Amino acid sequence: MTAHLAVVGNSAAALSALESFRRAGGTARVTLVSAEPGPAYSRVLLPYFLRGKVSRDGLVIRGPEFYERMGAELVSGVRVVGVDACARELELAGGRRLGYDGLLLATGSRPARPPIPGLDHAAVRSLWTLDDALGLDPVLRPGVRALVLGSGFVALQAAWAARCRGLEVTVVELDGRIMPRVLDAGAAAVLHGRLEAHGVPVHTGTATESLQDEDGRVRVTAAGLDPFTVDVVITGTGARPNDELLPQALEKGRPGIPVDAAMRTSVDGVYAAGDVTRGPTALGGPPEIHALWPTAVEQGRVAGANLAAELAGAADAGPALASAPPAPAVTYRGSLSMNVTEMFGLTVASLGRFVDTDEDDVLVTDGLPGLAYFKLVSRDGLPVGAVALGGAGGAVILGRLRPYVRWGKPLPELSSFLEGRVPAFLPGRPLPGPFAGLARAAERS
Amino acid sequence: MRIVTADVDACVACRDCEYACAFEHGGDFDRAASLIRVNFYAEESAAVPLTCMHCADAWCLDVCPAGAIARDPATGAVAIDAARCAGCKMCLLACPMGNIHYDAELGVSRKCDLCGGDPACVRFCTSQALRFVEAEDAAEARREALDASLKRLVRAGRGGR
Repeated sequence: MTAHLAVVGNSAAALSALESFRRAGGTARVTLVSAEPGPAYSRVLLPYFLRGKVSRDGLVIRGPEFYERMGAELVSGVRVVGVDACARELELAGGRRLGYDGLLLATGSRPARPPIPGLDHAAVRSLWTLDDALGLDPVLRPGVRALVLGSGFVALQAAWAARCRGLEVTVVELDGRIMPRVLDAGAAAVLHGRLEAHGVPVHTGTATESLQDEDGRVRVTAAGLDPFTVDVVITGTGARPNDELLPQALEKGRPGIPVDAAMRTSVDGVYAAGDVTRGPTALGGPPEIHALWPTAVEQGRVAGANLAAELAGAADAGPALASAPPAPAVTYRGSLSMNVTEMFGLTVASLGRFVDTDEDDVLVTDGLPGLAYFKLVSRDGLPVGAVALGGAGGAVILGRLRPYVRWGKPLPELSSFLEGRVPAFLPGRPLPGPFAGLARAAERS
Repeated sequence: MRIVTADVDACVACRDCEYACAFEHGGDFDRAASLIRVNFYAEESAAVPLTCMHCADAWCLDVCPAGAIARDPATGAVAIDAARCAGCKMCLLACPMGNIHYDAELGVSRKCDLCGGDPACVRFCTSQALRFVEAEDAAEARREALDASLKRLVRAGRGGR
């Protein structure tokens, strides 16, 4: 009998795992179970949808033919309510049980709910799921007054979409500055100014005390501000992992399912990938939750390949040895934070660890062509992170920098690197020899 | 599959490839829009044309949140579907070579698509520095070039030529 791989989830990590599983020769029957209805769509693009950059159809990233080609059954619109790891069974809403030989939890995360009275008001929304976006779409009309709670990636993209559509937008952030997890203080100050220049008042260091109904609108009370009334509140105050399905694997008081470099949880036969995990990072240090699309794709790849090896091993050895998985086929080098978007006319990009400490060397400049702000953080001569604000060229520089940060390699001479004169290379894999070419040119001259 | 490779010894930095690329894809000679870029090193009198290598394991393709990047089944090119691209720039951040560019006018990312199997940059290369070769042969040539330069370095280290 063929083995069965069950995947809970249907977004970046789940899809990447499925592709990787088949690529690695995994022959098991695969079932994806997703609480949200319909084929996979891209959460990352929801703000782009609200800005009119992407159509509703454009949000769909895998059609029915994909699942067919992958030999996978998609059970969508059905929530998994429990995992019986001993019996190797999933319990689905409605009571159906689904046995598995291997399980991948790619359940993602959900918006965190700040403890603010009145948050259950009908005009309070988030921008997390397709339903959220479809629900917000008709609300975003010119002249409508909106409060954006929080100033992270999702919050400010929502603010930008709302502003683009002619709303009166106010941002309130509890932290002392905007985008505490995506930008350093310097870049945050530049972006803050940009928001204000686009007519979006930003109140940092401001606690929202309550939201009260006022004839269907919302009366906002925040510390230090005169109470004001808005038509819609969009919350973007961070995310928390959907980690409830595997309580036995959680560390007390710490959200996120811990995974090793093979994406295995502490429970036999159960892997996890994406926003739901707390996993190894590229820069070392304690495991972290990196709830980012690229991380989910990378982790999914690793989990898929290792599940293929484990299920192949299980089929060969028979059930008796199934609980002794083989050495992982692939291990994860660790997640490296990378963010990019465009908002308020700026490309905002960050990479790795960009908040510096006393032990770091820091380069900050507004003097690079096309960039309003650039910061490079290095430690002991090795780059560990960077931030770029301005034109799209900033994302290109960070992209070329990424291999050096990930692999802990010293940069070539900095000025020529930043000017784009030195092509990046992956360590150990020299590319068509710019450097060899230079040596030869020098010999000739 | 075949990719565009550059013989950096033969390149004379005439930039015809950039003009050819810009014309092929944009209909004018706006060199800044070219998807192949020639880096010119004046002090060393060297020029290095750079364009997409259509990686066998393409990170831009995997990471695209719009599913807009796919491998062309006919040419093997890693190509961006402009109709699907949301302009999120994740691919710019993913490419370790800096070979994906942003078209601010259209609000989409752009990269080399091998012109459907007959790259204009190669056709118009005056010095035959650009070649359209099997990727495996290119890797072989690269290894040989690396071996040669290592030998040269070792010889130089021993004080000989």
